[in-house]
Amino acid sequence: MTKIDLESINVILATDCGSTTTKAILIQKIDGEYRQTHRGEAPTTVEKPFANVTIGVANSVTEVGELAGRKLVSDEGTIIQPASDNEGCDLYISTSSAGGGLQMMVAGVIAEMTAASAKRAALGAGAIVMDVISSNDKRRPHEQIQRIRELRPDMILVSGGTDGGTTEKVVELAELIAPAKPQPRFGSEYLMPVIYAGNKDARGNIEDTLGIDWIDLAVVDNLRPVLEHENLGPARDKIHDVFLEHVMAHAPGYDMLMDWTDAPIMPTPGAVGDILQTIASQRGINVVGVDIGGATTDVFSVFNETFNRTVSANLGMSYSISNVCAEATLPNVLRWVHFDMDERELRNRVKNKMIRPTTIPQSHEALVFEQAVAREALRLAYKQHKEFATTLKGVQQQRTVGDTFSQQSSGQTIVNNMELDLLVASGGVLSHAPRMHQTAMLLIDAFEPEGVTTLAKDSIFMMPHLGVLSSVHPKAAGEVFERDCLVFLGTCVAAKGLGKHGKPCFTYSIEGAISASGSLNFGDLELLPLGQDEVATITCEPAKGYDLGEGPGKKVVREVRGGTVGLILDARGRPLALPDERAACQKTIEQWTEALELYPAASAPEPVGA
Amino acid sequence: MLRRHWAMILGLTTLFLATGTAFATAGGATGSDVAHEWNLLEELFNPKKTWLLIWFILISGVVVYYIRVASSGKDLKVREIAGLSAVDEAVGRATEMGRPVLFINGILDINDIQTLAGITVLSRVARTAAEYGADLEVPTCRALVMTTARETVQEAYLAAGRPDAYNEDRIYYLTDEQFGYVAGVTGTMVRDKPAACIYMGAFYAESLILAETGNHIGAIQVAGTAMPSQLPFFVAACDYTLIGEEFFAASAYLSGDPKQMGSLKGQDMGKLIGAFGIILGVLMATLSVLFGGGIFETVLVYLSEYMFGDDGFLMTIILMAGGGG
Amino acid sequence: MAHAYTPGLKVTSHMAYSVKRILPIKGDVLVSVGDQVQADQVVAETSMPGDIYPMNLANMLAVPPSDVAECLLKKEGDSVDLDEPIAKTKGLFGMMKKTIQSKYTGTIETISNVTGQVILRGAPIPVQVKAYVTGKVVEVLDGEGCVIDADCSYMQGIFGVGGETCGPIRMVGSAHDEPLEASSISEDMSGTIVVGGGRMTAAAIKKARDVGAVAIVAGGIDDQDLRDFLGYDLGVAITGSEKLGITIVITEGFGDIAMARQTWGLLSSREGREASINGATQIRAGVMRPEIIVPHGDAAPPTTSDLDSVEEGLLVEGRPVRIIRDPYFGVIGSVAGLPSEPQVLDSGSKARVLEVKLDSGESVVIPRANVELIEE
Repeated sequence: MTKIDLESINVILATDCGSTTTKAILIQKIDGEYRQTHRGEAPTTVEKPFANVTIGVANSVTEVGELAGRKLVSDEGTIIQPASDNEGCDLYISTSSAGGGLQMMVAGVIAEMTAASAKRAALGAGAIVMDVISSNDKRRPHEQIQRIRELRPDMILVSGGTDGGTTEKVVELAELIAPAKPQPRFGSEYLMPVIYAGNKDARGNIEDTLGIDWIDLAVVDNLRPVLEHENLGPARDKIHDVFLEHVMAHAPGYDMLMDWTDAPIMPTPGAVGDILQTIASQRGINVVGVDIGGATTDVFSVFNETFNRTVSANLGMSYSISNVCAEATLPNVLRWVHFDMDERELRNRVKNKMIRPTTIPQSHEALVFEQAVAREALRLAYKQHKEFATTLKGVQQQRTVGDTFSQQSSGQTIVNNMELDLLVASGGVLSHAPRMHQTAMLLIDAFEPEGVTTLAKDSIFMMPHLGVLSSVHPKAAGEVFERDCLVFLGTCVAAKGLGKHGKPCFTYSIEGAISASGSLNFGDLELLPLGQDEVATITCEPAKGYDLGEGPGKKVVREVRGGTVGLILDARGRPLALPDERAACQKTIEQWTEALELYPAASAPEPVGA
Repeated sequence: MLRRHWAMILGLTTLFLATGTAFATAGGATGSDVAHEWNLLEELFNPKKTWLLIWFILISGVVVYYIRVASSGKDLKVREIAGLSAVDEAVGRATEMGRPVLFINGILDINDIQTLAGITVLSRVARTAAEYGADLEVPTCRALVMTTARETVQEAYLAAGRPDAYNEDRIYYLTDEQFGYVAGVTGTMVRDKPAACIYMGAFYAESLILAETGNHIGAIQVAGTAMPSQLPFFVAACDYTLIGEEFFAASAYLSGDPKQMGSLKGQDMGKLIGAFGIILGVLMATLSVLFGGGIFETVLVYLSEYMFGDDGFLMTIILMAGGGG
Repeated sequence: MAHAYTPGLKVTSHMAYSVKRILPIKGDVLVSVGDQVQADQVVAETSMPGDIYPMNLANMLAVPPSDVAECLLKKEGDSVDLDEPIAKTKGLFGMMKKTIQSKYTGTIETISNVTGQVILRGAPIPVQVKAYVTGKVVEVLDGEGCVIDADCSYMQGIFGVGGETCGPIRMVGSAHDEPLEASSISEDMSGTIVVGGGRMTAAAIKKARDVGAVAIVAGGIDDQDLRDFLGYDLGVAITGSEKLGITIVITEGFGDIAMARQTWGLLSSREGREASINGATQIRAGVMRPEIIVPHGDAAPPTTSDLDSVEEGLLVEGRPVRIIRDPYFGVIGSVAGLPSEPQVLDSGSKARVLEVKLDSGESVVIPRANVELIEE
């Protein structure tokens, strides 16, 4: 890849090869600013009968070209570079999650320490972690070997031991992998890539144990050189390299695609993580992003520049919908529904959606129910994320006598909803909700943001493209992200704390694009109009015991941004609690539904089964 | 199970009554001329101790109730003790760093309750060490403690399914001499640099020497003792400290034994009653000073002399009634 | 554009079926090209390496890991019996020797001088692969398995649990919408594939298993019944490895739903014939649906040409379709109109729709994603 002169770039083409569709976007420099101008999509062509990913890429790019009135694909079916007046592009980049993305198995000595770090490295690189093997995962060695044998990962990441730490335990891990002889997913004739990122003193032993003819062993710096510090960079980079060299090279057509691109192809979720990190560091904010799909839900967070990603493998809206209902339990799902539904009937419906995942809700009740499931899926995914995104474990604590009665253990979550500035949603059920109000409410109910939080959604799932772009051209990525990628829904102002229903919670006064003032009682929800690109200053005075960001009872002054929904004032308290009794719960949800105008057109619903 | 507990209470009550009678008879013999007029029931029962009996039945009842709840498989909520969850972390750290876990069981012999509580914690530490595959080193100050520790650790390794990983040579006796022992232990610490040091038992002057050395070598340290004078040192120098009662609570919690868990919860209820009594007493005393006696004074006297004293349930009244008759 | 692709399940009276039967690891193939095989015949076998048992001899002997090799009485590759001495310390001046006995039977695979671990491998586990369908071996993959071809009638179900099995087809009930109750299952159905029309009840499944039926097939099942039978709530539709003693296949969906007439008709016409059935379902990348295969064998292939493939097809006016989402789940009708512009649904979403004329004469508007093509 040649050095690119960033200033001379006018036309950028980006594609994302998903499992079913390949999406292409065109970014052009208009009046000195980068804007996303056109998009197109075509079915992905990794599988037979085409078995060449570039056909789908060319098709989607051709569509973009036709819309833009620009010839982007040559007669030979390749992408034209560099750009001339009305032909070609200056920069072409791509991401890929076709064929199930990057699937990895990771191993570490202690599940909560090096194995957790290894998992973080793999997830951060955009992989799906199939299993984590560790010395203390409660499985007997032969069970672990059996498991490794059953898995067919694309690659294995082995870590363990601090530098100068345990050699024995790391070698033990290697001694599990060697006899298990896992088969790579793409055919048995390929070597199984194994990355070793553990104790540097054990490298020799690892090379002895894993230096087998069917393994391609790569050694990088320890990802946990000391327990107090993580060094995930080298392992992540190596995962990307191996992804390109092995996994991508074996997928049909990718060798050609790799020649076309100006930056390495990235796994889609890895690219999404990159753009969120770029945005968080450019603006100095804390961001949470969520992508809810049919089978899985990805949660990304950047808090104080620490990035974390989790994949909740079985929380999704179609293939996994039944699992969401099983994990969350049906009563928990139904608490978000404001009318009666027959449980037995619903269970059958859920299973029918699972076996026919492509259907869409037609009736109002079906939509309300699906959104109720989405709330639970998001809530559970976020819970898993919080449990994973923690401070490092196994670190020595500094104490004073003042800590006598408040000895906090290490490994506390770093996810703090009060410090969250921006919440970004993407994925079918969120981005294609009939009303943006529903998207906003889903986010608030599931994530329970506290204080002042801006809500947004990814307009056309552009984040992966921008993620790769941010590695080549951060400025262009930032500009497009701000102007075209995000659709701002508005801002949520929510009080933390619990109180009695109907007692005062906070008062507010707003100045700027709109002027308003008033007060909210505990349990209230209010929506104020604040349009797209409008900004106002809100001053809130919480009652005693409620916190809006400055501490309990302290006055808060913040700038808030409007959007397609507006300004949402939430005095329902945190943690959000719903009445246990079904009738009372339905009434509460109905009040909130009305306050936020969630389903204005819906007529009174008929009971299911009628 | 339940029947056995109630039988135990009944037995103890009988015993109590018998002792009560003995006292009463003794009291009667020293001069009270009312005593001889008591009938058989009064012979068996010392009315002065009525409140004590009530407390006894109440608290034992609560303990039995909670033991029953615990044995029925219901989860008794015990507040999470940071120091306990830290054991996993400490052992994990040792495993990752390839260094041993050092466990010190205090310097008193096996007959001390703190040493015993420490042994329970040791069992848990050993189990975790066996699961994680960490080396566990236990130098002891008493020969009997060594034998007990060996048994305990071996059992824990067996329970963890790793009997092959047990090495009894790592549990050894140093010396009975307090400072000889400390010198030996600190020497080991400086040489082997264990990644986790766990102190559970009775400690004296050596507490700070041990904890400071451990801090110096960068180990995660967890301490637990009921020695009030040593607690501040542990709190300042260790990562986690189990304070006094917490130490015994941890022992009960770890053993998971319904009897221990139930007793723990029952005792807590007893403490709650005690605390409530103290608060009420303080309140009454204050009010009686402010308002010059009256009803507050009466309640206070009843609290201190009857409910928590030994003037009986309504002893005076009975005596007065008896005297009048 | 007056057509659209919709998913559909394959139900065909005649098809050339080909199946690869592969061992998980290399082994011996017992058949050769041209052989006629029966469904339950073993075509390839091998033995999987046995389970692994590590023994930490360094700790057991109380010696440093590097000295373990010297103390061993056996070397790598030797077989060891249970309680056979495996290692002995040198002792002190030839005294106080400590002997360690093996706790497992197996062969010594490796001796590590870093961890002091000796890894024993247990006896090999035999693995056999059966033919699964009665047919002809057309290809032998050296050491891996073989390919079997058969002319057959082939039906895909929508969902199943339980793995591969085979047996003769046994129809229960007289109509495609008659529920499959326990009362209609009798002792003589042992070893058969029981086929019912409408919903199968939990009692029917239990009874079928108790009488020894190998599989049970029907149009629908209540989720509650399935949950009761499995003992857990099925979260993700990846099935096939359950050990239930019976394979369950439903052809249409969950709830009270009749088997498609075509499937019912095809199965009825094959009553008594040997069939192979597999409940394995995977609804994700690489979709796998349960299947019922009835090889024609020596019998002449059916001449009825109206029972043909309904795989993926085009939505055109007049085509019969089934609605696969509430509020009209399971209802059958025909395409009456294909408006090209997206319409707003009751839910408020905008989607491309089609008009369906129901058998009752009523006409309803349905999103295109919510119908599937059927052949009546």
